[in-house]
Amino acid sequence: MNPRFRLPPVCVLLFFASLQLFAQERYTLSGTISEAGSNETLIGVSILVPELQTGATTNEYGFYSLTLPAGNYDIVIRYLGFADIRQSVDLRTDRRLDFSMAEEAEQLDEVVVTEQAEQLDIREPQMSVATLKTETIKKIPVVLGEADVIKSILLLPGVTNAGESSSGFNVRGGAADQNLILLDEATIFNSSHLFGFFSVFNPDAIKDVKLFKGGIPARYGGRVSSVLEIYQKEGNSKEFKMNGGIGAVASRLLAEGPIVKDRAAFLAGGRASYAHLFLPLFDIDNKAYFYDLNTKLNYRLNDRNSLYLSGYFGRDLFSINDLFVNTYGNAVVNFRWNHLFSDKLFANLSLIYSDYYYGLELDFVGFEWNSGIRNFNLKYDLKHYVSDTFQVNYGLHNTYFVFNPGKITPNSAESGIVEEQLTKKYANENALYVDVSHSVSPRLSLNYGLRVSQFNRLGQDEFFVYEDDNPVFFDPFTLVYRENTPIDTVSADRFETLDKFLNLEPRVSVAYTLSENSSVKASYMRMVQYLHLLSNTNSPTPLDVWTPSGPYTRPQIVDQVGLGYFRNFSDGQYSLETEVFYKEVQNRIDYIDGANLIANNAIEQVILNGEARAYGLEFLLRKNTGSLTGWIAYTLAKSEQRTPGREQVTFRNRTVDEPGINFGEWYNTPYDKRHDVAVFGSYEIDDRWSLNTNFIYQTGQPTNYPVGQFEFEGLVVPYYGLRNQERLPDYHRLDIAATLRPRKSREKKVRGEWVFSIYNVYNRMNAASINFRQNQDTGRNEAIRTSIFGIVPSVTYNFSF
Amino acid sequence: MKKAPDIRKWIRQAGSALAGRCSVLSLAAICLLAFSACEDVIQVEVPEEPPRLVVEGLIRVDTTEEYLPIRVRLSETAPFFGEPQLVRDVDEISIIIQAFDEDGNPAGSGVTEMWESDTEPGVYIPIVIPGDLDERVPMSIIEQDVEYTLVVTWRGRRYAAQTRYVPSVPIDRAELGDRTLFDEDETEVVVAFTDTPGEGDYYIFDFGFGEYFPSEDIFSDGEQLEFSYFYDQQFDPGTNIEISILGADQVFYNYMTLLVEQAGDSGNPFQTPVATVRGNVFDVTDLDNIDNFDNAGQPEIFPLGFFAIVQEFQASVTVD
Repeated sequence: MNPRFRLPPVCVLLFFASLQLFAQERYTLSGTISEAGSNETLIGVSILVPELQTGATTNEYGFYSLTLPAGNYDIVIRYLGFADIRQSVDLRTDRRLDFSMAEEAEQLDEVVVTEQAEQLDIREPQMSVATLKTETIKKIPVVLGEADVIKSILLLPGVTNAGESSSGFNVRGGAADQNLILLDEATIFNSSHLFGFFSVFNPDAIKDVKLFKGGIPARYGGRVSSVLEIYQKEGNSKEFKMNGGIGAVASRLLAEGPIVKDRAAFLAGGRASYAHLFLPLFDIDNKAYFYDLNTKLNYRLNDRNSLYLSGYFGRDLFSINDLFVNTYGNAVVNFRWNHLFSDKLFANLSLIYSDYYYGLELDFVGFEWNSGIRNFNLKYDLKHYVSDTFQVNYGLHNTYFVFNPGKITPNSAESGIVEEQLTKKYANENALYVDVSHSVSPRLSLNYGLRVSQFNRLGQDEFFVYEDDNPVFFDPFTLVYRENTPIDTVSADRFETLDKFLNLEPRVSVAYTLSENSSVKASYMRMVQYLHLLSNTNSPTPLDVWTPSGPYTRPQIVDQVGLGYFRNFSDGQYSLETEVFYKEVQNRIDYIDGANLIANNAIEQVILNGEARAYGLEFLLRKNTGSLTGWIAYTLAKSEQRTPGREQVTFRNRTVDEPGINFGEWYNTPYDKRHDVAVFGSYEIDDRWSLNTNFIYQTGQPTNYPVGQFEFEGLVVPYYGLRNQERLPDYHRLDIAATLRPRKSREKKVRGEWVFSIYNVYNRMNAASINFRQNQDTGRNEAIRTSIFGIVPSVTYNFSF
Repeated sequence: MKKAPDIRKWIRQAGSALAGRCSVLSLAAICLLAFSACEDVIQVEVPEEPPRLVVEGLIRVDTTEEYLPIRVRLSETAPFFGEPQLVRDVDEISIIIQAFDEDGNPAGSGVTEMWESDTEPGVYIPIVIPGDLDERVPMSIIEQDVEYTLVVTWRGRRYAAQTRYVPSVPIDRAELGDRTLFDEDETEVVVAFTDTPGEGDYYIFDFGFGEYFPSEDIFSDGEQLEFSYFYDQQFDPGTNIEISILGADQVFYNYMTLLVEQAGDSGNPFQTPVATVRGNVFDVTDLDNIDNFDNAGQPEIFPLGFFAIVQEFQASVTVD
C-alpha cells in the first residue's frame, strides 16, 4: 500500500466488509412487490430468508434487493394484512422476482405474525419512528368523522398539538414549524384546513404515513423536530376503481385506473367541504370552504425505469359579506424518475415545485394582500444494496426558495392604499448525504450517516444594515427591547450571497438484540433548520410567514439523543416500545414583547436568538393482532426555552446588562405538556360491525394569567408577569365510532360503509384558551374560557366500486 | 422602517376573528345534531403582585384653546379581579418644560406645578390660585421645540416621563355606514382622513366607548385613506358618536397598539403572547439625573402608563 494514502479506519472496515462480500459467490435477488388487485407498490414489505436469518424490506417505491450466497432458499414475503407468499428460489444467478400480494380474507384473527417477521423489526436500528396504515387512520374516531392523518399521529407518544382549533403538531416538545412534512417527497408548508380543524391530506389518496421523531436518517434534513413522510397512492393499473365518502363537513371522491394496463395508471382524488352551500338558505352571505385535489400519473417504462407525476392543490376560502375574502393553500407538482442502474443500485430523481399562498382582500379598507413561499427542489437519491447486511444510501438535494413576505395593492381606484411590495427574500439550500445500514453481527446493527448542508442567503433589493450588526436595541431607560434604526440600506444582486452557513449533521443509530424478542436501541442526531416560521402565537396561523436564516438570524440546530427498549410478547401479539430522549435546540428565535410580525419589512428588528430544550419518556404498548387491536401511549415530558440577554449595552456612557426575554430564565414553551396519555382501541365485533374508540388525557398547556390590571384612557388593561407560568385546565376527552359494513352481495358492485361517531362523548368543555377582559355590559372583569368542540356526533358514508 | 400596523392589525384580526368569533364553527354547526357554546365565564384564581403607579397622561390638544389642557390621572394597579385605587396623596407632581432653539441648544425652561383637581379625584392639573398663582401653560408653547418632563414623587419613589408635542390631521369625513362584518349587531362608521406627506406619521383613532384604533401611513403616505370601523354593538337612534384622531409618535403608537391588543383580547388560539405593556414612565428614584440610570439592573421596578401631548381633531356621527 502506498503509505501516503491512508484510509480512515471506518473506510477500512467498509472496504473489508465489501471484500468479504465479493469473496464468495453471491447473487442478487431483486424486484418490486405490489398489491395484486391494483399493482399498487407496497412499502415496507418483508422479504425473509429463514435459513440465513436475514431479509430485506421494500423501499418507498416497492423495490427490494437482497444479495445472498448461491443456494436454494425458501423465501417468505410478508406484509401485515396480506397473505404470506412462500416461494422456493434457486439462486445460482442474479434474479429479478416481482411479487403480487393479495389482501388476506377478512378474518383478521387469522393473521399470524411469526417471530421472524417481528425479529427484523426488533433488529432494525431505526428507533423513534411510527408507521400508520391508511386503514388505521380511517378507524380512528375524529371530530365530524373526517379521517385525518395529523389527528391520528396525535395519538402516538411524543406527539401533541395545541387543541382542536390549532394547526400543525408538536413532536417531542418541538414547535410546529420544526416538522418536515413531505407529500410524495415535496415539502408541505401548511398542513391544515380551516385553521386546523382538518389536515390537508385526503386519506383516500394516501398509501403510507411515517413519522420520525428521532434518530432521523441522513437523507432527511431541513427541520429539527420531526419528519412526517406521506406517500400518495400511485393509481390502479389493473382496473378502474372509484371510492369516496360523504361526511358531515366534506365529501371526497377518488378515481383511479389503468392508462396502459399493468404499465401506466392515473389517480385523481378530490375533496371539498360543502357546509357553505346551505348558507344561502339561512340568508347568510358568508362563505367558508376548503377543497383539495390529489393527482398522480405513473408509467412503468420497463423493469428498470418508472416515471411518476404527482400533484397536489389545496385551498381554503373564507368570505364575509364580500368585505373580507381570505384564501390560502399549498400547491405541489412533482416529477419523479425511478431508475435501476443495476439490481443493486436504485436511483430516484425528483423535481419538485412547491408553493404556499396566502391572500386576503379587505374591501372595507380597500386593499389586497398576498404573501407566500415558493421553492424549487431537486433531489437525487440512490440506494445501494451492497449485501444483505450492508446498504448505502446517498444523494444530493438542492432547494431554491423565494419568500414573499407580502404585497399590498389597492383593490379599487378610490382606495387610499399605496401599492407596496415588501422585500422578497431568496435563498438556496443544498445538501449531500451518505447513510449506511449495516448489520455488523446477528445481534448488532447500525445506521450511520452524515449530511452536509449548506445554505446561502441570496441578495435582495433592500437589505438593512445596522450599527454593530444589531437590529434589536435594548433601551436601558424603559428596560424594553425596541427596533433599531438601520444605518444603511444595500441592494444586492440575487446571485450574490449575503450570508452562508455550512453544517455537518452526523446521525447514528444502534440496535443491539438482547433476545429473539427484545432489543435496545440508541441514537444521536444533529439536524439543522435554515427556515423560521414567524409565528408569535400558540399555534401557527395560515398568515404566518417563513423567513430564511441570514446575517441576523442563525439557523436552528438540534442535537438529540435517544435510548429505547423494544420487546415483542406472545409471538408478536403485543409489542412494547419505551424510549427516553433529550434534545437541545440552538438559535430558536423568540420575539420581543409586542413584536409585530405581520407586514414587517424588517423582521430582524423584533427577533432575538434563544435556545430550547426538551426531554422525556415515551411508552407505547400495542396489541397488533386479534379482533381487538390498539395501543396505549404515555409520554412524560418537559419542553422549555429561554432567551438570555445578549451582552452588556452601553448607552449614554452607561453600561447595563440586558435582561433577555423573561429575564433570561427558562420558561415553558406553549407546547409543554407534562403528561400525555392516549388510548386507541379497535374491536371487530363481527364481520359487519366494528367499534373504535380513543381516549386522550393531557396536562393543560401553559398559559398566562394577569398579575394585575390598570386603567388607561377608558381601557381596562390586564398586564402579565413572566411568560407561561400558569396552565389551562387538563385536557381530556373520549371518542367512539362504530363502523357498519353491510354484508357483501354478489349483485351489487358498490360496497358501502357507514361510520357513526361521537366525538367528546362526555361533553368535556376543554379550554382552548382562557382570556381576561372587562365585560362591556357589567363593567366587571371576567375570565373567559373558549372551548371549541363539545360533544359532536356525526355520520359518514364511505363507498367504493 | 415600520410597516403600517393598522394594516397588520387588520390582517391579523381577520385571521383571528374567524377563529375567535367561531364563525367557521357555526358554519359547520349547521350540519350537526348538537353543538355547544364557544365561550363561557369561569372562575380562575389569578396571581397577584404589589401595586404599581399608573400614569394616565394623555393630553389632547385643541390648538384653538388658550392653554395647554394639562391633566394627569394617577392610580394604582390592582389584582385582575380587584378594584384599582386612585392615587390622591402624591408628594409632588410637576412638568418641566425645556425649550430648544433651532440648533437644538437649550433655550429657556420652566416648571409647571400641579395639584389634585377639586372636581375629579386622582386627576392632577396645573395650580391656579386666582390673583396669586397661575401655572397653566399658554397654547403658544406648541409653536416651539419643547421637551416636557413629567415628574411625580409618591411614597418615597420618584417617577419621570418625557415627551414632545405631536400634531395630527383633521378628519375629512365621518359618516354612518350600513354594512356589517361578522354579525348583524354591528355599526359601521366610515372615516376618511388625509395623511401628511412624508412617511413616518402615526395616528390613534379614539372611537369612544374605550375603543381605539392605531394607524400608520406607510401604505397610504400622503393619501386620503377611507376605511370602515365596525362597532360590536348597535346604538339607539339619536346617539351621538364622537370620533377623534390623535397624533402619535412611534413609541406612543406602539404602546397603544399593544394596549388595545391586551385589553380587547378576543380569545382565540391565534392570540399573541401577553406582555407587560410598559409605557414611557419610569422609576428614577436612584438616578442623579435623567441621563444616568443606575436602576437599570432592577428590571422589576417600573410604573405603568404613558405621558403624551398630542393634537386632537374631532368629528361626530349621529345614529339615525
